[in-house]
Order: sequence, then structure tokens, then C-alpha cells
Amino acid sequence: MAAARRLKRVAISQPGFLTLNPKVTPTDLVSSRRKRVNKNKKKNWNKYSDVQDVEEFLEDVRHQERTTGGLLSEKSDDSLFFLDVGQPKKVEEKGKLVSLVLAYQKPNAKKLRRTAERAEKLAAKGVVPRSKKRLLNRTVVDRTSKKTETEANNNPERDFYDIWGQESEFCCGVLIFQRPEKLNEKPSVLPAVEVIAPGGSYNPDFFSHQDLLREAHEVELKKKKVEDKLERQLAYNKEDRATEETILREQVEGLVEESEEEEEKDAPKEDGEEVAVGAIAVADKKTERQRKREKAEKIKEQQRLTERRQTEQQQQLFQLRSIKTSIKQQEETTQIRQKRRKAKEEAQKAQPRRLGKLKFQPQDMEVQLSDELAGSLRQLKPEGSVLMDRFKSLQKRNLIEPRERPRVMCEFIRCIVNNMSFHPPPSLLGSREDSR
Amino acid sequence: MGGLQKKKFERGSATNYITRNRARKKLQLSLPDFRRLCILKGIYPHEPKHKKKVNKGSTAPRTFYLLKDIRFLLHEPIVGKFREYKIFVRKLKKAYGKTEWSAVERLRENKPTYKLDHIIKERYPTFIDALRDIDDALCMCFLFSTFARTGKCHVQTIQLCRRLTVEWMNYVIASRSLRKVFLSIKGIYYQAEVMGQLITWVVPYQFSHDHPVDVDYRVMATFTELYTTLLGFVSFRLYSSLNLVYPPKLDSNAESEPKEESEDDYAMNSESYLEKLSALSASLARVVSSAEEEEAQLDQFPSEGEDMEKMEAREKELKQQEAQKKLFEGLKFYLNREVPRESLAFVIRCFGGQVSWDTSVCIGSTYDVTDETITHQIIDRPSVGKQYINRYYIQPQWLYDCVNAKMLLPVEDYFLGVTLPPHLSPFVEEKEGDYVPPEKLKMMALQRGEKSGNEQEEEEEEEEEEEGEQEEEEEQEEDDNGDEEDDEEEVAEEKNLKKMEEQRSQGKSLHVKVTPGQLKVENKARLEQEEKAEEKRLAIMMMKKKEKYLYDKIMFGKKRKVREANKLAAKRKAHDDAEKAKKKKARK
Repeated sequence: MAAARRLKRVAISQPGFLTLNPKVTPTDLVSSRRKRVNKNKKKNWNKYSDVQDVEEFLEDVRHQERTTGGLLSEKSDDSLFFLDVGQPKKVEEKGKLVSLVLAYQKPNAKKLRRTAERAEKLAAKGVVPRSKKRLLNRTVVDRTSKKTETEANNNPERDFYDIWGQESEFCCGVLIFQRPEKLNEKPSVLPAVEVIAPGGSYNPDFFSHQDLLREAHEVELKKKKVEDKLERQLAYNKEDRATEETILREQVEGLVEESEEEEEKDAPKEDGEEVAVGAIAVADKKTERQRKREKAEKIKEQQRLTERRQTEQQQQLFQLRSIKTSIKQQEETTQIRQKRRKAKEEAQKAQPRRLGKLKFQPQDMEVQLSDELAGSLRQLKPEGSVLMDRFKSLQKRNLIEPRERPRVMCEFIRCIVNNMSFHPPPSLLGSREDSR
Repeated sequence: MGGLQKKKFERGSATNYITRNRARKKLQLSLPDFRRLCILKGIYPHEPKHKKKVNKGSTAPRTFYLLKDIRFLLHEPIVGKFREYKIFVRKLKKAYGKTEWSAVERLRENKPTYKLDHIIKERYPTFIDALRDIDDALCMCFLFSTFARTGKCHVQTIQLCRRLTVEWMNYVIASRSLRKVFLSIKGIYYQAEVMGQLITWVVPYQFSHDHPVDVDYRVMATFTELYTTLLGFVSFRLYSSLNLVYPPKLDSNAESEPKEESEDDYAMNSESYLEKLSALSASLARVVSSAEEEEAQLDQFPSEGEDMEKMEAREKELKQQEAQKKLFEGLKFYLNREVPRESLAFVIRCFGGQVSWDTSVCIGSTYDVTDETITHQIIDRPSVGKQYINRYYIQPQWLYDCVNAKMLLPVEDYFLGVTLPPHLSPFVEEKEGDYVPPEKLKMMALQRGEKSGNEQEEEEEEEEEEEGEQEEEEEQEEDDNGDEEDDEEEVAEEKNLKKMEEQRSQGKSLHVKVTPGQLKVENKARLEQEEKAEEKRLAIMMMKKKEKYLYDKIMFGKKRKVREANKLAAKRKAHDDAEKAKKKKARK
């Protein structure tokens, strides 16, 4: 960086250097950059600081004191100024007449008269001056109509028009971009509205109703299984429960000295140790003979293996048929596995994807038990709500991520705070839905 | 040495995805605003295939969006409106806090609003795209129109939804496009065919609402915002395709006009028009008013690749559809107070019938209960007071079952106090060998019984049942059929023989006489089938052992379904017999 600057400075200082801007001379360019100096030392301060303006001011002060005897700002008004009353009162009347005429005279009367005449002529013709025109064109601000209500998107009286008839790129003032193709694909293969099974009719046929009940029953069974599993994992043997004896023994362990028990414990321990010691015996060094023998064995082993391989290769010629069958079997298994994997993928497509923190919880099956079935439409008690169904359908089709209502912490939890700031309980803070 | 080192998570799938919080910060929006924007623009989160790669080594569940999608969102002008709204809220709060009421008024008057028209045009560039997505929109609008008008969601949205649903129902009535109806415990499912698209929607029942607490109302309101706009534009287009005025106006040439004095009892003047429209009892005004002309019969030219048979089949279908559209034509209905008025009025008018109800229920009733020309009265009570002679008193399920069966069913099964036959779902299509409830078989029999005119009376029912069975169980083995028939005949013959033997043993002379022979008309088709069956049997006998083994296995699997269906049928029979016995006992 510094090198580049130096180069530029050298180039500028060459004779005959032309600048692009005619007003700027090469000398300006060179001298605009000053070397930075450290003014903290007395030597530098004396050398590089400029005190010319201070010196001037002090000179001025001294000059004032010399000539007028003291600073001009401290002197009174009388000593410096006097009021000029003017000539004696001989020519007073003449002055009055002159001033009266002057009072009624207008400096540009002629000009004003001319413009007024011109305006009259134009008005006679019918031409309206510009200011009047602007006044007339001003529209009255309609303060009564509520612009926001009529333009809102959910106004019940809103207008619809043929949006697909117009072929322009603009639609109500907005340029329409072409949407990327990928966004037009539906995120799920499920249909928008899934009709309930025939057993869900308000007056169902016997067998379809039984089918539906069976499905609901299976769902309940699964839930019960999960619960039972938990119970089993948490269960313990009642006999293992601590009795008073065992509790006492536990607490007393190690406190009371009983020599008999100690001897018993020592004897079995020693046997164990010996066995362990025997296993860690140190190996002796190998002798030459042993090494030679090992080498010979190794070579033999290798020879045997190569011979075996050769014979195997020769024999494989006669095993062609069985080899073929084994290959066929392998291919079949791979094909079966491929098919299974494809089927699994297809099934996965219909499942809701995992799109967020929560997993998708399918809603409870809407089924009416046999005794709840109504005989007529009038007595029908609807089961399940369409709102919930739509919400879950949106989640199932991967349009939104599964949402859950945030659980409000129990409002009666007391927060014991030690500092001076005030923490109101959550209920007083207000719910989040009020914000719009 | 070598070039720059490749660092992990800097290229590939890790850079294609972006987390939700990052996206939000990029757009400078708050989380609810971001959610709204994504819903309006149709940007959905994606689950990446290799979560670990995208999440930079961790498997914590996070919401991911595609980076390209978020970049696409940056161009949206609505984002600016959202920010303006945020500033508006801030200013409003300040003015409230300082109790500057004039400022509050001024700010409220200039509240920033936005319109979604350009989003609709962008997401659905053609009309058919919009029609495909209208299922969801209809369900949401019908759902919201049933909400109570408390302040939880904007009341304006609820009103708009009501208006749009009424317009849609009027369109379906005018175009006669309703095809299927299904009453379930959750709500009523309708299916209509509009411009070649099958559209299904569900309408909740008018009564009983306990709103679940777990639903996020803001999300649903955002969806509804989008869908109301979509539905409005689609309605406009559909109305103009039918040459009707939009926003819809009632036809002023209608003969029966509602009385002027009693209108004040129902609704305020501003709302009375919508209420009259929603009564669904009057027809709509057209742009170019024309009397109902007979459509000229267009010449049918076969399209390429079609032969005469297919064309005839198509013509037949069209004729059936036309006949179906006029199902209730000429019939006059009267609805009692306790039946669901809107649903029934909709269904009746969709098929050309005339409907009216009690004046105390709703505006727009055209005739009174005392009218002599009423043909059917729909009642849901166990008994009714005064009965007129020339009208049928039936339960509402008759209408729905007629619509699903595409013909007028016999009224006797639906009289007052009678146990109704089960209401079957028209959305279920039975495959080969599946169990078909006997009611459905009966209905199909009736359908076919009406169409085919000339049949032999003896074998009428048998043949129909057989045909019905054959059409369901398409690849049914001829053997089985033949076996069943043979069995039946054998049983009949056995009985006959037994009878003759008894008579002989009793010494009576048999009534066997020589009578002139009856001409047995041999069904050629049947003969052919029998021949084919014989050939098949021979081929099976000639198979090798291994092949026969495989064949048996396959057949076993196929016949399993049939066996199960037979089992269920036997169960049903037992159940029915038990019921009959019970009834008899009860009568005694």
C-alpha cells in the first residue's frame, strides 16, 4: 500500500504531469498528504504546532490597550457613540410637506396599474389566472368514507373480476413473476378431502360399522400395549421390598465387628487370587529351533492353501450348475428386497413428513358405538369436528408443521425472587392472541 | 501444495436448505408474519433426505425451507405491507398511550391493507389449476361460515365466507352438477362435477359446536383469507360461463314472489338480500335473459380411434346423466321444521324439484303446507298430526339415497316410524370378490331392472343377480358360477325326485303325463361360455404336477376373498333371521 502511494507521488512530481481536472494542479495533489507527527513530546510540540492565531489575538489585545486604554468590549456605550440629532429646526415645515407626499407615493405604482389592467383584459376574455385554476382543481377530501374498510381483503361486499381473462403481466398494479416449477408440485399425494369410511355413515350398514369398530379397537389395543409395557418396566417384585430386618442390616454394615464372618470371607478370596496369578505367567524366550520350526510350518501351510485353491478352481468347472442356482437365488433375493424397499418408499410418501419439533399426532377415530347410533337424522349427535379434521389434514399434507397449543405453566406457581425487581405471574402478562 | 481445503457443510445439500429462523431474519419479519407469508405464497417446509448433512452434524428436529424458495419470497410486495402494518401498530400503541384520540382516529382511517389478487394469479395461472384446488377452499369457507360471530375471528371474514358459500350453492343448483351426497357422523359430504373436475367438500352440521382448543386459529384464518379470494374469482368465472349475472341477482320474473310485509320480520334491509339468496328457493337472473330453449341435438362424430360401440356407450352415459339431472323434476316437496332445511333444499333444487318450508323457519318459502299439489312431505318425527291423502310422508334419508342411486327409490321403506335401510356410502367402489351389502345388491338390481325391458320372467331375478355378481367379480371363475348353478339345479332336481318317490310309495299314480315339449331357447352366449369352461377344465387336467401345484396355490389365494364374502353373507343371513324371530316374538 505504502509502495503504491510512493509511486504515485513520484509520478505526480515529474515535470509535465497532466491532471484530469484542470483546476487541480500537481502540487495540490502532492502536498495534500502530510506526514503524521507525534505531538506528545515537547520537542515535537514546539516544532510542529502552529500558534499563529493565538499570537495574533494577543497582539490585538495589546494594540487595543495601547491606543484606547483598555479593551473595547469593556467600555460603556457613551464613551464610544453619540446620537446625531441633525440640523437645527429651521426647515421643519418644508420637511413635513415633503414627508407627506413621500408617505402617499408608491414606488412602483405604474407597474402595478399595468398588471391590473392586463389581468382585467384576460378575465374579460375568460382566461383564469393560474392560482385560481389550482384552487378550483383542488378536490374535496372525502372525510366520511373509510378507505381502509372498502379496500381490505375480507370486505364482505368486495368485488371480483375476471382475473384469468386478462393476458397482461400486471395484475392490479403488480408485476407477476413466473413461479418456479418446483413450487407448483403438491407436497403430498394425499387428496384434499378424505371421505370417511362407509362405517362412518349416520345410519351405517352392519358390517362396515363392525369394520370401523374393529379398527378403533385395534388403535386402543396399541395404546394399551404401550401403557402395559411401561407398567412392566416399572414393576418390581414384592418380595424384594425392603423389610425392617434388611434395612437394619444395611445401616449397621461395617459398624459392628464380627471376626467369624471375616475369616469366612478371607478363605474364598485367596483361591480366587491364585487362579488369577497363574494366568499372568511370563512366557520364556523362544529358542532357535522353535523359530525354525515355526517358519517351516508357515511355509507348509501356505503351500497347502495354494494347492487347495487350485483344486477348487478346477472343481468349480463341474460345479457350474450349482453356482448358477446360487446366483439365481441371490438375484431373486435382491429383487425381492428392491421391491420391498420401493413399496416402503411409496408408503412413506403418503405419511406426513417430519417438519418440525413435534411429531404428527393423528386425531382420534370418529366412531359411534352401537348404542350411540341414532335412528334418525334429528337424533343424530355429531362426532368429531370438521375444524380439527381440516387442521390435521393440513398437517398430514405437509402444508404446515404440526402445531400444539403452548401449555401454560400452572399460574399458581410462586416465584420467590430475592432481587428488588417485580416479576408478575404469567396470567397478568396477557395472552399472545391479543396482539392482533 | 494442493488447492484450498474442502470444508464440511459448505456445498451440496447443506447449502440448499435454510432454517426457519435464518429465513425469517433474511426477510426481516416476525414469526407469525413469516408463517402468514409462507401460507399465502404457498411455500412449504421440506424435510431433507439426509438430515445430518443439512443440519451440520446434529439431528435436532428443525424446520427447513429451500433456499431458492426463500429467495423467491424476497420479491413479494406484500412483505412491505407487513412491515407497514407493524409500524402502524407501533404508532397506534403510542397514540393510545399518550391518549391522543385524534391521532388514533387518523391512524385508524389510514390503516394499511393489502390485496391478494396478484398472488392468486401467480399461483394459479390458468382457471383449471384453480378449479383443482377448490376442494380445500370450499371446505374452509363452509366451515368458517358456520362459526359464531363473536370477536374471535374477524366478523367480516365470516360474512364473506357466508356470501361465497351461498354463491357456490346457487351455481351448483343452476348447473345441476351435484352427483353424490353422503351423511356421516362428522358432516355432510357432497361431490359435484364442474367442468370435468370432481370436487368433493364437507359441510359440518348446523347444530352442536364445541370448538376444539388445540387448533391454531390464526393459521386457519390465513388459509381462509387466501381461499376466500380464490373462491371469489372462481365463482365469477363459473357464473360468467353459465351466462349469469355476478354478483348474483334473483330472477325478477319468478312467478312466486315473497310477500313484502313479512320481510321485515326476518332480517334488516341490508342483510335481507343475502338471506333471500341463501334460501336457495328462487332462480338466478341471467345476463341475456332467454327462455329455456331446447338444446339442439348436435351431430355426433366418432373421434379417432373409437368405433361405433364406444360411441354408443358414451351416448348412453350422457343420456343417463341428463336423466339423472332431472331426477326430481315435477315433484313438489315440503320440509317440516325439524329437518335440516338448507341441505335438503340444496339437494332438491339441484335435481329440478320445487321446495318450500314453514314461514317461521326462514325467509323465502314459496308455498304453504296446505297446498294441495305437494307430492312429498319430509318429516323426521315419529308421527304427524294432519295427513293429506295425495302426498307421501317420508324421512329425509330417502332424498339422499335417491341421489346416490340415481333413480327414485320405492317410498315404502322410508315411511314414518319405519326402520330405515342403512345409508350406504357412494364413495366406496367394490372390487372383485368384496362383500357387497344386500341393500346395495337390491338397489343395483332395481337399477338394472328398470333399464333392460324385455326379459324372461322366470329367470328375471336370477339372471339379474348373476349379472350383478359377474360384473362385480370380473375375473370370477366360470367354474364357480357353473358349479353354483349346477348345485342349485341338482338340489331342485333332488327335491323333485324325492317328491315323486314319496308319491309312488304311497301308491298314488304319478302325475306324470306326456305333454308337448316346451321350446328351450338356448342362449348362445351361455353355450359359448360353457364350451370355454370345458376347454379350460381339460387344460387344467393336462397340466404337469408341478404346474398344477402352482396353479392351485394361485387359485386358493383368489378364492379366499370369495370365501370370506360368502362367510359374511351367511353371518348376515343368520343375523336377519334372528331379527325376524325377535320381531315375531315381540308381536306376540
